[in-house]
Amino acid sequence: MLSFLDLLGTIGGAILGLPGILGVALGMTTRRWPIAAGMGGLVGLLAPFLLGGSHSTHVPITMTEYGISLLIGVLAGLTGCAIRHKGATV
Amino acid sequence: MPDKDPTPRRRIWPLRIWDWFWSPTGVISAGFLLIAGFLGGIIFWGGFHWSLELTNTEEFCTSCHTMETNLAEYRETIHYNNHSGVRAICSDCHVPHEWQYKMKAKIMAVKDVYHEVLGTISTPEKYEERRLEMAAAVWKKMKASDSRECRNCHAFEYMDFTIQETRAAENHQRALDENMTCIDCHQGIAHDLAPGYLEEYQHVVDELAGAGALSQDETDLASVRTYLDSTGN
Repeated sequence: MLSFLDLLGTIGGAILGLPGILGVALGMTTRRWPIAAGMGGLVGLLAPFLLGGSHSTHVPITMTEYGISLLIGVLAGLTGCAIRHKGATV
Repeated sequence: MPDKDPTPRRRIWPLRIWDWFWSPTGVISAGFLLIAGFLGGIIFWGGFHWSLELTNTEEFCTSCHTMETNLAEYRETIHYNNHSGVRAICSDCHVPHEWQYKMKAKIMAVKDVYHEVLGTISTPEKYEERRLEMAAAVWKKMKASDSRECRNCHAFEYMDFTIQETRAAENHQRALDENMTCIDCHQGIAHDLAPGYLEEYQHVVDELAGAGALSQDETDLASVRTYLDSTGN
């Protein structure tokens, strides 16, 4: 139960964090799906490096954290691109 | 042959709202939309953050009936009352400062509401039955994060061992040398300990080591045991 919650929390943290928010924003800058996914994925990949861990401890960031961040970044980029397709003519 | 109806059929209201939402505006400039969106974003973000901070207050945390036992225990500890007048409230120990981990903690805290509704720990007997399990869940998070929330206020590097009690100074120095973390010794710092807590803590460490979350020296609890045996904690 706790590990499921842990997974859910990690996904939620990524959606409300840099991969989710910046991913959507970057995705909205293009109409090309692969570029949107790539930009979102890049943010998802960089976010744990930039914001993971903490200032006071040296705990390694887990592969699950990286994986979820990457996945959420890609999905957010694609969501942003879909918003561009639906909501803009340029 | 009947004429075609010139007026299109009215769509149901959710679809009309959907169409309106995605229609280009003909009366508002891009600049207006940008400025309004920017201001709206600030207001929304401010409101979101303000609400989030409200959930970090002691009043919010202890507003549920099931938190009364925790609160009473915590009020007897040095984190509640001390000579310096600095207080650590619930969120200082249980909610990370870093944004993504804070969000994670808030999402995971939904289980507290669920169990409050279910009445899982609604009586002192039920509470005692679950005390060790609840404590172990917190220990697991703290051990895995190298006691991150403790270290928001405390750091070995900033400790002046010369003005600490001899026993404390010796054990902090050893903790530093042996790569131990705060929760290795201070399991009962804010709440009462359940019988068999040390075995449960060992189990938590073993579990984390099995999952590859700890390095070899972090799994050696011999120092912890020696310390606890010597203090009778």
